[in-house]
Amino acid sequence: MYTLYIDTHSDKICLVIFKNDKVLVVNEKETHQHSTTTMPVLIESLKKASIEIEDISEIFVVNGPGSFTGVRLGVTIAKTLAYTLNKPIKTISSLLVKAVSFEHEEINIIEREKNGVFIGTFDESNHLIGEYRYLKNSEYEKSTKDIEDVSIDYEKVCAYLKGQESINPHAVNPLYVKLIEVQK
Amino acid sequence: MKDVYILSIESSCDETSMAIVKNGTDIVAFTVLTQMDTHANFGGVVPEIASRMHTENITMVLEETLKKSSIKIEEVDAIAVTYAPGLLGSLLVGVEFAKTLALVYKKPLIAVNHTIGHIYANAIENTLEFPLLALVVSGGHTDLILMKKDYDFEILGSTLDDAVGECYDKVARVLGLKYPGGPNVDKLALEGNDTYNLPKPVKDTTYNFSFSGLKSHIINLVHNETQRGNEIRKSDLAKSFQITVVDELTRKVELALQNNNVKELIIAGGVSANRYLREEIKKVAEKYHVHLSIPKMEYCTDNAAMIGAAAYPLYKQKKFADFDLNPKSQATIVDQ
Repeated sequence: MYTLYIDTHSDKICLVIFKNDKVLVVNEKETHQHSTTTMPVLIESLKKASIEIEDISEIFVVNGPGSFTGVRLGVTIAKTLAYTLNKPIKTISSLLVKAVSFEHEEINIIEREKNGVFIGTFDESNHLIGEYRYLKNSEYEKSTKDIEDVSIDYEKVCAYLKGQESINPHAVNPLYVKLIEVQK
Repeated sequence: MKDVYILSIESSCDETSMAIVKNGTDIVAFTVLTQMDTHANFGGVVPEIASRMHTENITMVLEETLKKSSIKIEEVDAIAVTYAPGLLGSLLVGVEFAKTLALVYKKPLIAVNHTIGHIYANAIENTLEFPLLALVVSGGHTDLILMKKDYDFEILGSTLDDAVGECYDKVARVLGLKYPGGPNVDKLALEGNDTYNLPKPVKDTTYNFSFSGLKSHIINLVHNETQRGNEIRKSDLAKSFQITVVDELTRKVELALQNNNVKELIIAGGVSANRYLREEIKKVAEKYHVHLSIPKMEYCTDNAAMIGAAAYPLYKQKKFADFDLNPKSQATIVDQ
């Protein structure tokens, strides 16, 4: 069975196709314009895997936090695929993707953006402690527990998501974390 | 000829809308989900919130539309979507959604200009008769356009400053009316009398419009009267404003009708829902013996039915978009 993984939360779009939970295709592309890049990269990935979109039996999507527009785009594509293909969909945060990629004690996972950082604290079993937080660059002080650069292990991410419940596609939504002006 | 069914999507501002349109004129299914109540809390559309709500609701709007339709999504001939102009974040959601449908169902994708959509709202349950004169009035447009055939737009004149809908919204704000301002000015004017002597725009013979002078006059008038402790007769001021604006619009329409031999006069855009404009434009059409088309109220505001209607000529010309289609916040109708 084929699983599609979509991550558009940052300037690096990443699409992965798993075959029986093993990585078949990894397609990463740097972009400043998610709208012109994401669908062509998806189509290219399907071609590399020599499959059609209807061969996908499960969809994973990174629902943030990160670039609002980037996340929205990936989530819109993923929930529309899940709804129209009638396939299960599961979400994972950009911070948890990093946390499940390596063995660790209690840590703070950091996701940097232009003006600040998103932070999530995870225990050794990757349970989130407290809530995700956003700090402006001026408010953020690096601690020894903070880890920012993690090389993503897609098969570990896949294994983690296998153990999670799927969600109704209508209810799949971005995780923004950062408040916008009118919400303050 | 085989019937053509188009599934159309509109998300350029604060309405998530979808429709299935047969042959560019018959509405098979139609849904509009408005976010107006949410944005009313902020006194206007908040772009980031609009984008968020489109993402939240988009698959549900599809489900609702398909429930109403006798045609299955697999049976449609194309997927059409508004790609410009509008709020970029909002457009993006509709465009990526449309691309995903085009991929899953292996259908051609059609990119539709929102303003052209408003014009083609007049093709719904109606056949456009060319040559025609179109008055496009909305929050972003005040244009007089001559069309000799489908997708042939000659702009005779435009606003030199504020769009008419924009002017309505600013006047609504100084009168303390709630969002959406334009329809509330129209409502309030019903109760008033034309007692304010507002300056008329210059009687020029171009097809251009200018509303900023009128707008500034009203802002100053309200400010000065308030300073002096005088009460503003809001309904009277709304009435006088409405008469001044509509007089100017109809005067330019008359001028264009005198100089161009057209079979049909159409009005389009959000302001075409204005009741006084609808009444006055009817009189002009009768005077010049041209057929008048005004969209039904539900097709005047932002909606996907008009996008399906506007996509039909593009479908016939096989003008399809690629998967790298990029929405644009600004585009004129001659960019097509």
